[in-house]
Amino acid sequence: MIKTDVIIIGGGATGCGIARDLALRGIPHCLIEKGDYAAGATGACHGLLHSGGRYVVSDPVAAKECYDENLILRRIGEKCVERTGGLFVRLPGDSKRYRERFLRSCDDVGIPVEVISASRALDLAPNLNPEIEEAVRVPDCSIDPFRLCMLNMKTSEIKGGLSFIRHRVIEIVKSRGRCIGVKAQSAVTGEIQEISGNILVNATGAWADIVARMAGSEVPMTLSKGSLVITNHRLTDMVINRLRPSSDGDIIVPNEAVCLAGTTSLPVEDPDHIRIEPAEADVIVTEAGKMIPHFNQTRIIRAFSGVRPLLKSQKLDSREITRGFQIIDHGNGLYSIVGGKLTTYRLMAEKMVDTIMEAFNLKRECETAEKPLDGQEELSGYPLSKRLADMNNILCECELVTRADVERVIRQTATRHVGDISHRTRLGMGPCQGGYCTFRALGVMQDQRLLSPEESMQALREFLQRRFRGIRQTLWGDQLRSEQLVEYIYLGILAMEREKPT
Amino acid sequence: MIEYDVIVIGAGVAGFTAGADLAGKGYKVAVVTTGEPTVCLSTGCIDLCAGPSAREGLEALPDEHPLRRLSLADMEAALNGFKKTMDDLALTYTGGLDVNRKVLSALGSFKTTCLVPDTMAASPQTNDEAIHIVTFEGLKDFYPAYILSRFPQASFSVYDAGASTTMGIASRFEQGLFREAFVAWLEGQRIRENKIGIPAVLGLEDTQGVLREIEYHLERPVFEVPTLPPSMPGRRLFNALKAHFRNQGGDIYWSWPVAGVEKTGHLVEAVFTPTDGKPNSLNARAFILASGSFVGGGLTATRETIVENIFHLPVFVPSARAGWFEDNYFSANHAISRAGVLADSSFRPEGAGFENVFVCGGILAHAQILKFGCGNGLSLTTGYAAAKACAEYLS
Repeated sequence: MIKTDVIIIGGGATGCGIARDLALRGIPHCLIEKGDYAAGATGACHGLLHSGGRYVVSDPVAAKECYDENLILRRIGEKCVERTGGLFVRLPGDSKRYRERFLRSCDDVGIPVEVISASRALDLAPNLNPEIEEAVRVPDCSIDPFRLCMLNMKTSEIKGGLSFIRHRVIEIVKSRGRCIGVKAQSAVTGEIQEISGNILVNATGAWADIVARMAGSEVPMTLSKGSLVITNHRLTDMVINRLRPSSDGDIIVPNEAVCLAGTTSLPVEDPDHIRIEPAEADVIVTEAGKMIPHFNQTRIIRAFSGVRPLLKSQKLDSREITRGFQIIDHGNGLYSIVGGKLTTYRLMAEKMVDTIMEAFNLKRECETAEKPLDGQEELSGYPLSKRLADMNNILCECELVTRADVERVIRQTATRHVGDISHRTRLGMGPCQGGYCTFRALGVMQDQRLLSPEESMQALREFLQRRFRGIRQTLWGDQLRSEQLVEYIYLGILAMEREKPT
Repeated sequence: MIEYDVIVIGAGVAGFTAGADLAGKGYKVAVVTTGEPTVCLSTGCIDLCAGPSAREGLEALPDEHPLRRLSLADMEAALNGFKKTMDDLALTYTGGLDVNRKVLSALGSFKTTCLVPDTMAASPQTNDEAIHIVTFEGLKDFYPAYILSRFPQASFSVYDAGASTTMGIASRFEQGLFREAFVAWLEGQRIRENKIGIPAVLGLEDTQGVLREIEYHLERPVFEVPTLPPSMPGRRLFNALKAHFRNQGGDIYWSWPVAGVEKTGHLVEAVFTPTDGKPNSLNARAFILASGSFVGGGLTATRETIVENIFHLPVFVPSARAGWFEDNYFSANHAISRAGVLADSSFRPEGAGFENVFVCGGILAHAQILKFGCGNGLSLTTGYAAAKACAEYLS
């Protein structure tokens, strides 16, 4: 039995942010995550650190929060934020009235913007559609959501916070009507951890209602699926937005060597069963192609979806629902924090921890906005020279990940999931999407005796099936060609069984 | 302007087989290619049709399958011709239509094939055979544990070859001193099992010599285990096919992507390439299209449809894009695998109206090579058949 003060359920940006805030205010805590960090909506978004421009017309309060947090995060999180800057581009036919409202609202909220000519915009982002009428420069940035979570957890770790990833909460333990702890089961060993705490925080995003129900409470939410595609190239160095009311495929964000474009917005019921249709990928590519025409020729390496947890509203179009957040006190020791967005995760955590401090009747000010994120000095960016020095031992040729990188992650995390290695090294994130390196990474895990060969065969099957779900919507051109080769390797050369062996 | 009897587009199994047959009959033949073919990625085995035997498998093929265009006699002739040729080039293949062979894969599962190269002939046929697996320190494309999990009576040992790629280790096996040291080490391992499996890295040139040398000292059969590309057995097959084609007097134009076609009525007259410094136009009396499927570059999928890249032949497109793939990745039955060029009984493309164009290999519609297990064998036999039809046309 582990005893702590606060149990955080959910290892997305909000949960990790709460862990950091609690750590800085000296409160013992334990975080439980059923997958890996950033596995839900946190990792399945554009990775856009909003300037606020996207919401400035529809929700000025949220826009202001975004801008303030944008300034804070670029200060405290230098190593996970890229100061790309952003453009809102107006295409022929896009409403001039919206442009006026946009500029007026930015002025009201205090977001610094600059209207620039089409030719100036093309100087800044040469791949832009030369037909654009004009552009508005905004202080958008790109942010690495996974890195952000890891850096937040670093502070927690330094201050003695606990965390269990790959652990699913199977029971919320109650006594006399109050939540006093949880039982969490390891997905790897099946072992059950019993953890007791005084306060439980439900930061599970789209899964908030499912978790709240374990405690006999509920969280009314509207779930909205947003799908995105990833290109094989970095087609722009700036964030590109469409200067019009929010719609499908109107944001393109550069991130390391690739670009992410999206999204869509479709209501969904069950966050565990979401599916992307080829038509959805087509809409995104077509819309993104209007801003950057090269989208229509470039290789799309995969599509993915995140589920936005939005507060329940009577409005039918989920884009109109506020992106603001809310803390719900269920009155039984459980708090749920829902809504919000990646950009405002720190603010959400601050408000949540303020609430906890009040409940504990403790006073200590929040420091998360001032102190830089811990662990950034260890992040080395993308040291190509180092990677090439060990060229003979590269397991993932697309992303230049070495055997030593993979072994290090295995050592540090004792992981049995290829996905955990991918998040920490980018293994399998390149054009072949793990076609070659998964066989190798699982082989290395066997060498390290972490996986039995039977388990690794199963892991390989599951990985290939899951990977296929993400890529099948965007298979045409070179990507289809590359995929046919991968299928030929596994089913032809390696003769993987078509059906599961019984 | 250079005049040929036949231009073959594609330097894979289908292209070289067709080209060598025609050159052997005295025709002036050239192969044009953009680069190395997909056979270099393959296991080097000749898969013809899955089933207990290729003969039985072939009978069960659906009518639209391209192999149904061939008689069994032609198939037999194609396989025997290939075996004879490869034997002369010291790349012996064994097997035939009457029984399919199993080849152990790097995942420990069995691949079914019709003809196996000599280096895989001793591959175990059941999981209860006692085998010893040798692997190499740091080799990134081979992990013995995958095999050990399925072979209760197996053990393994690791040799440091000073290289971590299959290609790198294969080049070491070309050196006599390296082989001596390797054999001496292997003898010192006191292997009890009666067969020894080694990843497919036993050199590129005199592989059979290397194999015999190890077998001689260890006094038991040795077999190669094919693994991820680049594949040494695939490359050996490619090298042998290329050598045979050249021996028959054929010309090869490397890095020669066909960019355009000149035609008159029902006849193609010439093909063009934008390559500088080489003849940029080749005339011929007949053309054989052996450019492969998607991986080979013969077919390209767009967001809307599927196109053939050289002659813009009509392509059988199985469905709208949303239907190209099934949900189950492992079905080996995705509709996209049916895409390709439809051929008539004389291996002319259907619906194109060309009299002097023949088509063979992976680009053929309904091939479904994973479903029916017909990779290199489809190319070999249809290459043979297309050459036969082309020769009839030319005479």
